[in-house]
Amino acid sequence: MQSANLKHVYASMLLAMLFQLLPWEGLALELRPDFMLLTVIYWLLRAPHLCHIGTAWFAGLLIDLATGGLFGQYALAYAMTAFLAVSYQRRLALFNIWQQTAYVFFLLLLTQTTAMVLKLFGGNDFPGWDYYLHSFSSILLWLVVILSPIGVEAPPHKS
Amino acid sequence: MPRALEPQQTPAFFVRGPSPLARLVFFSALSLALIATDSRLHYLTEVRQGFIALLHPLQVVANAPFNLYHASAEYLTAHNTLVETNRKLSEQALHDGAKLQRLNELEVENEHLRSLLGASQIIAQPARLGEILYMGRDPFTQKMMVNLGTRQNIKPGQAVVDGDGVIGQVTRVYPFSSEVTLITDKELSIPIQVERNGLRAIAFGAGVDNVLDLPYLPVNVDIQTGDRLITSGIDGVYPVGLAVAEVTNIERNPDSPFAQITSKPVAGVKNHRQVLLISIPEIESALGTVINNTDSSAKTGKPAEKNSTTTPIPAGSASQNAIRQP
Repeated sequence: MQSANLKHVYASMLLAMLFQLLPWEGLALELRPDFMLLTVIYWLLRAPHLCHIGTAWFAGLLIDLATGGLFGQYALAYAMTAFLAVSYQRRLALFNIWQQTAYVFFLLLLTQTTAMVLKLFGGNDFPGWDYYLHSFSSILLWLVVILSPIGVEAPPHKS
Repeated sequence: MPRALEPQQTPAFFVRGPSPLARLVFFSALSLALIATDSRLHYLTEVRQGFIALLHPLQVVANAPFNLYHASAEYLTAHNTLVETNRKLSEQALHDGAKLQRLNELEVENEHLRSLLGASQIIAQPARLGEILYMGRDPFTQKMMVNLGTRQNIKPGQAVVDGDGVIGQVTRVYPFSSEVTLITDKELSIPIQVERNGLRAIAFGAGVDNVLDLPYLPVNVDIQTGDRLITSGIDGVYPVGLAVAEVTNIERNPDSPFAQITSKPVAGVKNHRQVLLISIPEIESALGTVINNTDSSAKTGKPAEKNSTTTPIPAGSASQNAIRQP
């Protein structure tokens, strides 16, 4: 396993932010994977000594800025997801890739739900069930990246 | 020393910093504090402006491939397409020119009539051409970003229109860009008038793509499907007579005192990239004169100020009705 350092973490987060900032529109916007969240979950599961709850919180704050909502909504959602990811991180090494994927999918859904609850408290309306399409496209992207031979290693797992 | 009472500590083999739970509590408290500060106290406007300005280079990089695509698509347009659009546009210009000649004459006549009636003059509102940077990323709101900001003297509250009708209003201004809330957003409402009979109402965004609601109108209200809704100009933000929406559906339920009327905005936000940002009319002179008249007592200052902003409007709308009636 190639050792990761902080440079990798922040470079990948910058890249994820760039993808997040592309001018998505219409259906593409609905189907867009949550690049930032995927990157953060990946580093949380692979290298929790480099990327912890604080990093996830800061990434969430950046997403708050990019979406133009209230400060702290996505930051809180990301921090809670990061807590669950980090506290089960060592147990996850006993799982195989598919079980890990299921857990990541659960984390994605949880983040979206937390963010939605916070937005609903902020006075917004429920945007409809296609809101959860982000999680489905994100998990597909996760699988493609983990299974394809492009040099991204999966988090530690039982093979 | 009773050893049994000493707290048992788990040995820390590796230095891992504070426990995840402690970190979670700390960052949750921080986020909740941020949410409260941002939503209730509005202290973070400058912070947000600074961060957005910092993110601006990244945004420019992210937009670059799309700009390049559009630029090359424009460059590689076929000759006959260009000739075709050129022909169409000059035809359109001829039609519009003929209409504009009549408009000039009508404008002079209207001004003259208004001065005869003693009604307030329609204020000219200059506009600036802006380009859409991207549509809002938040699925909970209806927003978009345009490429003009405080550097170009854009102010919050300015109306945004395109060639077909009203798009929305500028709500936040950053150094190089500004955020436009679309009229379909749940937070935005716009004073309108039914073009056919001059009935005034307020349209509210439904929070969904392409839907405007007209609540609080009685069941027997005189509105038909297909009616065009135009701005009434009562708010002093949107100029009078811009197209807003077309009524698509009316539900008259006898159980409810109000009719359920939905309409569809006419502006095509998704069809083109350029929009017009109309500046807010300056009404300080009118305010100043009225305040000077009633500056004797400080107590009446506030009601007088309120009157001064509302008085020109009924006069204006009354004159509109007066002109419409014959």
